[in-house]
Amino acid sequence: MIELLNNQLTYRFPEVHQKAGCSIDFQRTLRIPDDNREYPLPPGLGRFPVEHVDDFANKLPDTWRTHGGVFIPMYQSEALWINFSGDYPCAIKIAAGKINAVSGEPWSNGLSADPQDYAVIPEQPWLDGFNVSEDFIRQFVAMPLGEGFTAEEQITGTAEHGGLQIIVYPMKHDVYVEHFERTVQADMDYLDMPMFSRTVCESAAPDMGLAPGGLMRQEIYEDEYGIDAWDQDNGFRCFVHLANSAQYLAITGHKPPHTPPTANDYTSAGLPWFDYYSDAKALSGSDTLGKLTSVAAKVIEKGKGLLPDNEPVHPKTVKIISKGNVVRDGEF
Amino acid sequence: MTFGEYIREHREALKSQDRRFSVRQVAQRIGVEPAYLSKIERGDVAPPSEAKIRALAEELDEDPDVLLAMAGKVSSDLQEIIRKRPQLFADLIRQLKSAPDHAILRIARDVRDGDW
Repeated sequence: MIELLNNQLTYRFPEVHQKAGCSIDFQRTLRIPDDNREYPLPPGLGRFPVEHVDDFANKLPDTWRTHGGVFIPMYQSEALWINFSGDYPCAIKIAAGKINAVSGEPWSNGLSADPQDYAVIPEQPWLDGFNVSEDFIRQFVAMPLGEGFTAEEQITGTAEHGGLQIIVYPMKHDVYVEHFERTVQADMDYLDMPMFSRTVCESAAPDMGLAPGGLMRQEIYEDEYGIDAWDQDNGFRCFVHLANSAQYLAITGHKPPHTPPTANDYTSAGLPWFDYYSDAKALSGSDTLGKLTSVAAKVIEKGKGLLPDNEPVHPKTVKIISKGNVVRDGEF
Repeated sequence: MTFGEYIREHREALKSQDRRFSVRQVAQRIGVEPAYLSKIERGDVAPPSEAKIRALAEELDEDPDVLLAMAGKVSSDLQEIIRKRPQLFADLIRQLKSAPDHAILRIARDVRDGDW
């Protein structure tokens, strides 16, 4: 089951193992410059608010009611990251507009090993964008559907789905026991990993989707357990719609969060960026995703001038974080 | 294990790491006499009020609902919920008496998955 608690999706699989579960939240963040320079990880600026679609069903499009799930408010060109928490290993597949963010393939419910189309937690603490090449992602940036910016539209030629799609499969009971309950205390670093908050969001009404933004150093790690470790009979899916922030107020009566700082303002204030180090092997990038045109390039291509607030920045404070120390909170 | 034994065991475990969890200091922080807390732990007196049990739960980092249940009490907010629809909740709880945890968890509101 998936519960929505404190703006966080909490997955539990008690039929698999008492400890089986994880949490996913969507972190507000600044949009890194989209200028083909490589940037470190931007901070988490707190969770996006998350609402049940069913609580506002009469104010939402029919398609949202059909999809079920939740929605979050995003401004146009706002970025987000997806924060994974939990000690029990789970395979998580993420798509934007039903385009897999790791493999670039169209959505399917199961897992694929070749190419690997999912991330494994707790090894993977977060996901900031589309897997465009080994060690690099392009940041998730919200854009209105129908203008040709989103990964979905660039790959399929249609603006049909938008939003984010997430499915989580827990590690099989027997595999967990074998790895973690027989080898007593063997790897307590993983088990003691504290929760941290990074958030991702989606848009809607009119629907928004996620487009590829600036280039960021981030690895998506290879599954060290193998695809047979995951209990694919016990997965739970969630459709995360992205609501345009202006319409979020009309739908819910709640004010959306204020706009995040620009990368330039944040960096000029001397606030930290982050780099994450792990020994785990990284996946190669997706050729399909690697060919996407970024938002800034698309703006130029469309003859719309330049993307605002897109000046290069030179982060002076970059905090190194690693397994066991994965807090990536920023203040502004 | 009785309520008093449970409290003593957990307080003593914390005290072995941190002397602030002595009977005297814990009693002081939750606003009772040390002799009274000592009697509670020995089972010489009945468990204290809901407010004191909640304070103890916070102090010892325990779940207040669990401590209240061990003390034979139901928290006032749950009582209020039941009082509003007593028959319905009495039936529900009886029906769920033998249900496994995962079945009970499913009754909590989940995020609905639709067609996509």
